[in-house]
Amino acid sequence: MIYRKISGKSSHFVRDLPIGRKGQMELTFNWVYVLIAGTVILLFFVGLVARQKVISEERLSGEVVEVMSSILVGAGVSEKTKNFIDASGLADYTLYFQCQDGVGEFGIKDKPARTQNSIDPIFAPGEVHSSRIVTWSLPYTMPFKVMDFLFIIPGNVKYYILGNDADFVNEFLNSTEGIERVFVSGLEQIEPEENLQVRIIDTGGMINSGSGIPAQLHSFGDSEVSAVSFTGANQVDFYQKKGTSWQKLNHKPVRIISLSGERDAAKYAAIFAADDQAYWCNMNKALTRLELLTKVYGGEEIVYGEAGGKIQKLLDYYKGDISSDCRGHLEQYNENALSALQKLSADASNCRLDSQSCVDLIEAAGMLKKINDKLRISCSVSLY
Amino acid sequence: MSKERNMKHKKMTRKGQLQMTETIAILFIFFILLLFGVIFYFRYQKIAFQEKQEELLGTRAMESTLKTLFMPELICSRGEAEPEDNCFDVLKLNATQKIMAQYLDEYYFEIFSYATITVQETYPGDKTWILYDKPKPEFTRKEPTFFVITLRDELAGNNQPEYGFGYVAVTVYS
Repeated sequence: MIYRKISGKSSHFVRDLPIGRKGQMELTFNWVYVLIAGTVILLFFVGLVARQKVISEERLSGEVVEVMSSILVGAGVSEKTKNFIDASGLADYTLYFQCQDGVGEFGIKDKPARTQNSIDPIFAPGEVHSSRIVTWSLPYTMPFKVMDFLFIIPGNVKYYILGNDADFVNEFLNSTEGIERVFVSGLEQIEPEENLQVRIIDTGGMINSGSGIPAQLHSFGDSEVSAVSFTGANQVDFYQKKGTSWQKLNHKPVRIISLSGERDAAKYAAIFAADDQAYWCNMNKALTRLELLTKVYGGEEIVYGEAGGKIQKLLDYYKGDISSDCRGHLEQYNENALSALQKLSADASNCRLDSQSCVDLIEAAGMLKKINDKLRISCSVSLY
Repeated sequence: MSKERNMKHKKMTRKGQLQMTETIAILFIFFILLLFGVIFYFRYQKIAFQEKQEELLGTRAMESTLKTLFMPELICSRGEAEPEDNCFDVLKLNATQKIMAQYLDEYYFEIFSYATITVQETYPGDKTWILYDKPKPEFTRKEPTFFVITLRDELAGNNQPEYGFGYVAVTVYS
């Protein structure tokens, strides 16, 4: 018999084997070697592809959030404009909007990409899953412009407006062209459409907590039917469907902090906000900016009732003119700009901490508006 | 017989050594190619990242300029009417300068991040207002943007506001 060593092996493994088995051993070894090496290489590339897939998905969601942020920045500063965004590319994603402790956040649901903002108020439903999104901005004034409110209106929500406030109903219908909305004379007149969520705008305070939901809405999911009801004294209540009745979301009355009038941004904000908590959180952002703006008009000293900022410039200009109406309107008359501005500053701060004291803020803003009108008529200058 | 066996044995060992060298050479070339691939991939990623950074900086510059132009702290308001476009109120500028400096970290940093915003009057005077100044420490890139504006001074004219010209310069850093 002829024996030989297995080629390429260390001397420890050297064994004398019959030469006839040599081919079999080499062949088996080569195949095992190829299989192991091949599997390792394959696993490496499979891992690489899987990792790349995760990264590209994260990158895509990040880009979506980034593009949405840019759109929202543009929409937010373009006063009184509506933008119709074709979001068909986002059909697979659900955008979420939330606001907690003064910090707003939006992003893609179940994805890490998100953006936070504690400055700009965005009033939107909690979740948006639509191929068409409308953004609309309205200036919020108290009485001077504080900032622009941005409303996010998904294309898959239909707004049903009802109630006896004919002026507001007409204004709403005229100003919301391009948005799915319709006037109905009563809750029973609502004809819901498939695939469209329902938001009821009750201008007459007809909806109450525990009252029944129209039968035609019973088949809808609880999250698909919501309502906002305006009651007297500039208050609003938020409702959500719960089974066959309405559940009131706010425990305390929510006040609309505005001077009323047409295109009342704070009132529209309540219509498009998800709930009372999101509404109040975003309104707080506006109140913070209002406090800063009173300091631009009245200076840092305004909190102590002293003049600074723009009002100080006006006072300096009319300093020599002791008997002038302008100086009177600015600081001498009973109703003057300086004290109105001081009250506005203090009330803005109080309102932010306690919503019940916001009535005073509305009064202070009304007073400043009156004085500013007088200033403009008698002096050709104005505070704002 | 033993001599013949030794000859065969030597021949077989040489063949094994040759196969080993061949395998090592193949593995060496494979890893070299893999290394090239990895280097190329990371170089590409680095360049793509830098390009993205530049793109983001450009976008941020535009957004910051847009936000500045519409700031209620600066705009020429007209009571309840629409404010004047691309116009800053001179009487508000000094006050805004102070307020923005005071609340820079607390409030305005979230709007403008690392940036410098200045308003330069070109007519009738040449006054400069530095509204916001927060350059990034050890910044690597900066992107300045300029925008022409009018400057309204309600007290300068005779019962009519007087308008000057200037520009707003917004520089963002990364």
